[in-house]
Amino acid sequence: MTALTAIMTREAKIRATNLLFIFWDLLYPLGYLLVFSVGVNASLAFTTGGTAVSYNAFFLAGVLSMASFGIAANTSWSFFLDRDNGIFYEMLTYPMSRSQYLLGKVLFNVLIGVLQTAITVLLAAAILGVPLRVAGWPLLGAAMIVGTAGWFFFYAVFALRIRRNDAFNTVTSIFYFVFLFASSMFYPLDPLPAAFRAIASANPVTWQVDVLRYATIGLGDPSRLALEAAAFLAFTLASFGAAVLALRQQE
Amino acid sequence: MSHPAIAVENLVKVFGGRFRARPGVRAVDDLSFSVARGSIFGLLGPNGAGKTTTLRILTTLVKPTSGRASVLGYDVASHPSDVRKNIVVVIQEHAAELLLSVRDNLLTFARFHGLRGADIRRRADRIIDDFGLASETARKVQDLSGGTRRRVQVAKAFMVDTPVVFLDEFSTGMDPILKRSVMELLRREAARGRTIVLTTQILSEAEELCDDILIIDKGRQVARGDLNALKLLTERLYEVSVTFDRVPADAEAIVSAYQPLRVRVNHSSVHVALKDEESRVLQLVTSLASRGHVLRIEINGASLEDIFIELTKKGASA
Repeated sequence: MTALTAIMTREAKIRATNLLFIFWDLLYPLGYLLVFSVGVNASLAFTTGGTAVSYNAFFLAGVLSMASFGIAANTSWSFFLDRDNGIFYEMLTYPMSRSQYLLGKVLFNVLIGVLQTAITVLLAAAILGVPLRVAGWPLLGAAMIVGTAGWFFFYAVFALRIRRNDAFNTVTSIFYFVFLFASSMFYPLDPLPAAFRAIASANPVTWQVDVLRYATIGLGDPSRLALEAAAFLAFTLASFGAAVLALRQQE
Repeated sequence: MSHPAIAVENLVKVFGGRFRARPGVRAVDDLSFSVARGSIFGLLGPNGAGKTTTLRILTTLVKPTSGRASVLGYDVASHPSDVRKNIVVVIQEHAAELLLSVRDNLLTFARFHGLRGADIRRRADRIIDDFGLASETARKVQDLSGGTRRRVQVAKAFMVDTPVVFLDEFSTGMDPILKRSVMELLRREAARGRTIVLTTQILSEAEELCDDILIIDKGRQVARGDLNALKLLTERLYEVSVTFDRVPADAEAIVSAYQPLRVRVNHSSVHVALKDEESRVLQLVTSLASRGHVLRIEINGASLEDIFIELTKKGASA
C-alpha cells in the first residue's frame, strides 16, 4: 500500500504542478466538446439509427473516450520521460515490485479519468443541455475505469519497448489518428462504407465509445454492447499482460 | 550467523547472443567477492570493465546469467523485494524527478522508502543545507544545471537509513568542495554501520575513501584488497616529483632514458611514474638534480592510479 500511495502522490505532484499536463489531461477533450461539438451540432442536422439525437449528446461518449485515450497516452509518455531521465531505473530499485509500479501508475490514471468524466458530463449537461442519465452512471464509471486502464496498459507496452523519443511520438501520433478516426467516436458507423465499418468494428475505441454512448444517452443494442464490453475487457487484460512482460524485461 | 553485506559467487552476466550467430558479450565473467558490513567498498575498473553491470545486478536491475549474488543474505534474483528494502542506489545516469522541485524530489524519494511525517521534512531541510541546495529548494529540477541535478540525486541517498548504499560514479559533475563534503558524509555513514559500495574511475577518490578495493577488467577480478595490499602487488613502482626554479631543457630526454610509465613536465616541475630498481630511481633524481637548481624532491611509492594502470595493462596483455 505504501508503494502505491507513493506512486500516486508522485504522479499527482507532477501532473498538478505542470500546466501542459493539465491542458492535455483535462482541457483538451473539453475543447472538443465545447467547440467542435457545438459547431457540428449547430451546422448539421444529425440522426443516428433513425433516431434524432443532438450531436452534443452523441459526441459526449466520444469526448469521454478521447479523454481516457489521451490521459493514458500522457501517462505512458511520462513513463517514457522517466526512462529518458534515468529516474525510471532508479525507481526500479525502490522497495516495490514492478507490478506495483505499474499498478500505481494505472490507479492514478484511472483517478484522472474519473475526474475528467465528472467534469465533462456536468459541463455537457450545464452548458450544452445534454440530459443526465443517472441510471447509466455505474456503467459509465466502469467503462471509463476499464477504458483508461486498458489504454494505459496498451500504450505502456510501446513506451517501454521503444527507445527513441521521436519514434515514440510518431507511434502515438499514428495511434491517435487511426484509433480515433477509424471508430464510432465522431460519427455513427451505419452510413459508412463496408470496409470502413469492418475496420472500425475491430477497433477497441469503437467498443469503448459504444458502451459509453449507451451509458450516457442510452443509444445502442445491448446484446452487441455486451460483446463489445467483453472484447474491451479482453483487450485490457492482454495489454496488461504485455505491459507487465515489457516491464519485467527492462534491464 | 551474520551475513556479509554483500556476497557474490561466480557471477556471470552475458548480454545478447541468445538468438544471434554472434556470441554474447560477457560483461561480468565469473566474479566472486564479499563486502563486510560497515565498510566502504570500491569497485574499480576502466570503461566497460563490468562495474556498472555488477552494480545493476546487486541492485536487482539486471538478472545474472549464472552465479549468485546476495545483499544482507537476500538473493538478488529470488528475493529482489527484500534486497530493495535494504538498499539505496545512486545510478550512473543523472536520475532526478525533473518535473518536481528539489524539496519534492527528496520527500518523494523518502515516501517510496516508507517514510512519512514531520521527520522527513526536517531531514530534507538538513540535507538541503548539507548539499548547498537551500537557494534552489522550490525550483524544479529541470531548471537546474547538470551538476546541481547530480547533487539532488546524491542527496536523496541521505534521506533514508537503509543498511547498504550503492553509488555509481557518484561524484560526476560535482565541484571539488561538494565532493569533499559528500565524501565526509559517506565516511560518517560508514562509521554509523552503513555499508557503502561505490564504483569510480577517479582513483584518488577510491584511494581516499575505500577500506577495501576490487579492481576488475573485462568482467574479471584483477586485484583485491586494501590500498596497502594492492601496493604490494606492484612493487618497484615509484612516483618522482622534482621541482626546479626553471625546468632544464633536456629534462624530458633524461627521463625518457628510464622508460617511464608516465611523464608530465610543466614550467617548474617534472613528474614521473616509473617501474624500476630503487637505485635507478635515485640515479634519475641525481641526473635531474645535476641539470638545474632544485627546490624540492618527492619520491613516493605507487599510487592507486599507478596500480590500476599497471594491473589493467597486465590484464589486457594476458
